[in-house]
Amino acid sequence: MAKLWVVIKREYLERVQNKWFVISTLLAPLFFSALIFLPALLTLRSMRSAQVANIIILDATGAGMGARVDSSIRAARPRAEAGGVPAADPGMQVRVVEPGAPLAQAESLASRDVRAGTAGGYLVLDAGSLAGDSARYAGPNASSRAVVDKIERAARDVSLGMRLEGAGIDPAKVQQLTSKRLRLSAERLTATGRGRTGMGNVMFGMAVTLLLYLSIILYGQNVMRGVMEEKQTRVAEVVVSSVSPDKLLAGKILGVGAVGLTQQILWFALTAGIGAYVAPFFAKSARAVAQDMMAQGGSAGARDMSAMMGGMPSITIGQVALLLVFFLIGYFLYSALFAAVGAMVNDEREAQQALGPVMILLIGSSFLMQPVMFNPSSDLARWASLIPFSSPIIMPLRMTMVQVPPLEIAASVAGGLLMVFLFSWLAARIYRVGLLMYGKKPSMAELARWVRQAA
Amino acid sequence: MADLAIEVRGVSKRYAQHVAVRDLSLAVPRGAVYGLLGPNGAGKTTTIRMLLNIIAPDSGTITLLGRSNRDDAVLDRIGYLPEERGLYKKMQVRKVLRFLAELKGVPGAEADRRIDEWLERLALKTADKDWGAAKVDELSRGMQQKAQFIGTLLHDPDLVILDEPFSGLDPINAQALKDAVVDLKRRNKTVIFSTHLMDNAERMCDAVCIIARGEKVLDGSVAGVKAEHGGSHIALSLGDNAAAAKNGVAAVLGDRSLVRRADDQNRFFEIELAPGASPQQLLHRVIAAGASVERFELVQPSLHQIFLQRVGADNLGVEVGMSGHG
Repeated sequence: MAKLWVVIKREYLERVQNKWFVISTLLAPLFFSALIFLPALLTLRSMRSAQVANIIILDATGAGMGARVDSSIRAARPRAEAGGVPAADPGMQVRVVEPGAPLAQAESLASRDVRAGTAGGYLVLDAGSLAGDSARYAGPNASSRAVVDKIERAARDVSLGMRLEGAGIDPAKVQQLTSKRLRLSAERLTATGRGRTGMGNVMFGMAVTLLLYLSIILYGQNVMRGVMEEKQTRVAEVVVSSVSPDKLLAGKILGVGAVGLTQQILWFALTAGIGAYVAPFFAKSARAVAQDMMAQGGSAGARDMSAMMGGMPSITIGQVALLLVFFLIGYFLYSALFAAVGAMVNDEREAQQALGPVMILLIGSSFLMQPVMFNPSSDLARWASLIPFSSPIIMPLRMTMVQVPPLEIAASVAGGLLMVFLFSWLAARIYRVGLLMYGKKPSMAELARWVRQAA
Repeated sequence: MADLAIEVRGVSKRYAQHVAVRDLSLAVPRGAVYGLLGPNGAGKTTTIRMLLNIIAPDSGTITLLGRSNRDDAVLDRIGYLPEERGLYKKMQVRKVLRFLAELKGVPGAEADRRIDEWLERLALKTADKDWGAAKVDELSRGMQQKAQFIGTLLHDPDLVILDEPFSGLDPINAQALKDAVVDLKRRNKTVIFSTHLMDNAERMCDAVCIIARGEKVLDGSVAGVKAEHGGSHIALSLGDNAAAAKNGVAAVLGDRSLVRRADDQNRFFEIELAPGASPQQLLHRVIAAGASVERFELVQPSLHQIFLQRVGADNLGVEVGMSGHG
């Protein structure tokens, strides 16, 4: 045990004291924070600036729908911005197109204005719009969800109101009834309790899964390089004359694994630290936007906001422990394979070839991430989270998204552990022979002989 | 047999295509300097790796310092310098050495003290430069070899196993290595080394074992081996008119009824007589050939000659390094 500890200590200290380790450990949290906060910040900014202004309304309904849509859009403008007084004129123009007159001509005129920059876009209302079927909008900002939502809402409300009035209902009553809007709030129901909508969990599950996947590749390759270095520099022979190859392999995998855990803990802690520093600014501007949204009478945007702000993943300590278990299973399973590859080959080029099968298993598992994310309860997801090669990556993803039966988790862990033992045993035998074997890369038949003859 | 440092009994190792070592038995007394001699590919390195339990023999037993070599504790008392040398390139020399010492059970602080001592002794740490603080790959090849040698001896082993220690050494390092071996011997440590350089073995070893094609050819003390093969070897030196008599002498030495083998070194010959031939007969013929004889002496054969005689010059690899540059 003392010798195992000496090996672990060397593997750990040599890597942790490396300047690239220090740099990547300190810089990555900045990158992670940017990755988390920048998109959210940009979303907030675009929400604030998503004002519908200066658009041309081509009214071919012959029923004055254009003017009512115009006033509906004006009314939706936040009061906060105008300080309680009627909102500044957004500069919209309603062009009434007489029934029978060519709509195409009016459209081409409007689109020329939009191209010339004198208008922000144009909305076409026709008989279909009046019937509540369709309307068209064209403009450079047509891909902005917020802009299109606002126009769509105004047109839909006006259309509904006009049809209700047509059915003989009092306009005031119509106004009162249509201003109500149903809100759907979704909760994640699990056996142990209930949490918020899956959004936070999906993000969290995705992040954890990616981190697991990257860590396994990163540190697995690190183990492989360590083995190759010992083989190439021929230091292996001196070392195995003092400590058995099994202990050397175990020490290397444990030492590198400890480096990985150290780095991840620091990454989490530093990212959380940066987050705690940045969050207040972020929350302030988010609150301002949310108020604007609320002022419009509970829009969909405001709901998105509250989901985003309150969408902290509902994760228990038990789940975190399980995540760690799956990380360790995945890391041990794959690093044993990486170590075996390292012991088999003589140089980097051979290593890339021999890595093929291992990488296919790993990358194949990562391809399963997306389908599993879309439907974490599918048969595919179930099998991918049970099969040992993909289970360390897929099961954590499933676990954070849906309630996985304990029996499946137990089966996944058991299968994973079984494979870890099997592959450690195989890898140790290949390692034992390969470490002192130079020359040609072994064929499969030779590998099988190595495994048999390693006593 | 507590007085044996190494006892190998009936050890064999077979690989897929060939037998590396066949039924080998060795006995190395404690405190001896022991040479394992043989041509390249004779099975020396395989034997040494089996001694250290790096590879397991197919059959036979190995006892080191009175205990099975599968006992981990016994490995802590052994120092090993492999033929293929190397250290972690990107590591600081001092840290590599501490790692090697700690693997042998030497506590860190004690290891540091011994490392300083050794670095100074081998001139890797001087008043103006401490190479111990440098990374391994900043050292020259010779310095790396010194560092590796320090790593072999840091834990003050009772048994030191050196595989081809002289290969690739410059004369200065070779001398340092010889001094160190002599020092170990004086401190009653056991040293076993493999080599194909007979000169070194002859000068340094108390006892030798010659192996070829995985099998033991002979073993015993150097004096015993020589006495066993003595009586038919003659050292012959010729005078200045050697050139004139050259053809005549060559004819005499080529007579297979008289001379079994002659090692022609131009003015000096080491001659092994054919069975039944007498030295007088040879001397007579040489003088009759017109050569002026400066020296004609019945000698004990060199290990080199014994090696050639027993292993055969036809054995591939024998010629490599036979003249000895260590």
